[in-house]
Amino acid sequence: MTTTVSAAGLSLRYGSTRALDAVSLRLSEGVTGLLGPNGAGKTTLLKVLATAQPADSGTFTVLDHDPSTTGGRQEVRRVLGYLPQTPGFHPDFTAFEFVDYVAILKELTDREGRHREVRRVLAEVDLSDVRGKRIKKLSGGMRQRVALAAALVGDPGFLVLDEPTVGLDPEQRMRFRELIARAGEGRTVLLSTHQTEDVAMLCNQVVVMAGGIVRFEGTPAELTARAAGRVWSSAERDPGAMAGWRTGLGVFRNVGDPPAGAELVEPTLEDGYLITLDGMVAEVTA
Amino acid sequence: MTWHVAEDDVRAYARGELAPPVLWSADTHIAKCADCRALLASVTDPVALDAGWERLDAELDAPKRGLVESLLVRIGVADHTARLLAATPVLRRSWLGAVVALLVMTVFVTNSLKHAESPSLFLGLAPLLPLAGVALSYGPKFDPTYEMTVVSPLHGFRLLMIRTVAVLVAGLGLNGLATLAMPDYGLRALAWLLPALALTTTGLALTPRLGPVLAPSLVGGGWVAFLLVAHNLHGGTLAPFTPAGQGVAAVVVALTGGLLYLVRDRFDTRSAHPWGAA
Repeated sequence: MTTTVSAAGLSLRYGSTRALDAVSLRLSEGVTGLLGPNGAGKTTLLKVLATAQPADSGTFTVLDHDPSTTGGRQEVRRVLGYLPQTPGFHPDFTAFEFVDYVAILKELTDREGRHREVRRVLAEVDLSDVRGKRIKKLSGGMRQRVALAAALVGDPGFLVLDEPTVGLDPEQRMRFRELIARAGEGRTVLLSTHQTEDVAMLCNQVVVMAGGIVRFEGTPAELTARAAGRVWSSAERDPGAMAGWRTGLGVFRNVGDPPAGAELVEPTLEDGYLITLDGMVAEVTA
Repeated sequence: MTWHVAEDDVRAYARGELAPPVLWSADTHIAKCADCRALLASVTDPVALDAGWERLDAELDAPKRGLVESLLVRIGVADHTARLLAATPVLRRSWLGAVVALLVMTVFVTNSLKHAESPSLFLGLAPLLPLAGVALSYGPKFDPTYEMTVVSPLHGFRLLMIRTVAVLVAGLGLNGLATLAMPDYGLRALAWLLPALALTTTGLALTPRLGPVLAPSLVGGGWVAFLLVAHNLHGGTLAPFTPAGQGVAAVVVALTGGLLYLVRDRFDTRSAHPWGAA
């Protein structure tokens, strides 16, 4: 697969906090999930790749554009769609007005063409019917779709989505996943999330971060395979397990190094994620 | 139907070239006559027809402009620039209303102190309003869409300047109106103008280093402190409002304007400062 976005040695500190530590990765077309616990550096990495924040060191390119110069940064921004973690809105704007505003920021100045593009992206996120409604009157899920529509303006080749499914109810989350899957056709999408279900359902690639470091880069199947032979069930929580929890069936699911004779079970992506983070969560939250 | 629109006229109608009053007759007739409508459809270029429908659709979809936006478009500001300005927080009625109320009170108090040599209270306050207006029009604390704005290809400095000019026009305009309400002081009542520009450009030039909150706060605080010191040292007309003070303000405008131009690229990314410089 052709690499569309690549980063090498990205580092960034906030005072004494190491937010990114020599992060290198390569993205290609399709949806790549960025998994990690709170404080892992996911949002910082997205901000750097979206050119919202400069890194202290390291380089990256987006669709062959190098953002290290003012002109290059401009070019990156022309091919970028960005949905921040908490997208802000002008609450008195309607959905149409807001997306129209973002379209102007994306240099679509011709009124007719711009309005055509606004209608297209609002239709793409199934919001045509409420385009005239004020944003403050829309539900949380609809607002999130308005923000996605704004990110899709101009048909960007690189879409950066920072935890877009947080705070949505299960139905809205499913709907949003469909939209992301659609958006991932023919473009590179980097989706930050702490929900392994998002990755399992949407992504062809996954990156796991913790403590500002990339801990894993590969396919979801490869991440799942990391837990092969390291997940077992038991009637009681196994004290030797790295993590264990009671499932809906009443038995405990344990992840870690199984004792002899343990009843091994099929691993999931979540198990692979936990194995990858083994010892890292404490490090991150310390 | 006893008559039909001539074919040449139907063709001209389709091209949008039929002039009144024949146009009015054709409009009325075509609406009622199926034969003429059929003829119109046959002579109309389908691509142009689709484009026409699309234009109509776009027109129906186009958002209604608010007061500020309509006003801007009416005075010749481009449609897209007017929309950018409509999203400027301090161009909302609530902010402008608060500024007007403050100015009215200040002018009232100043006019009550007829014995004063110069309207010092007004002259001291008026430069702070544009400074505050510009500070509140941009940055992560005040622009809810700041994060989307900063990664847009529209250069951050250009957006800042568009908003600054609009806020300055509004702010200086209101100050100017307030000045007219103090005719007894003559041109002395205009001595706020250069300090207002000096404070605004200084605040903006310091923003990349100090952030969009600290920079204007320090500049505003420094201005007030300077006025208090000047007042204690010398009664009557305060130093910034004397001819020499006005000259100094003009020099500050030129210097900080130049500095602002030099640091323009710093408005293009969010700084790593924890308070998030513009």
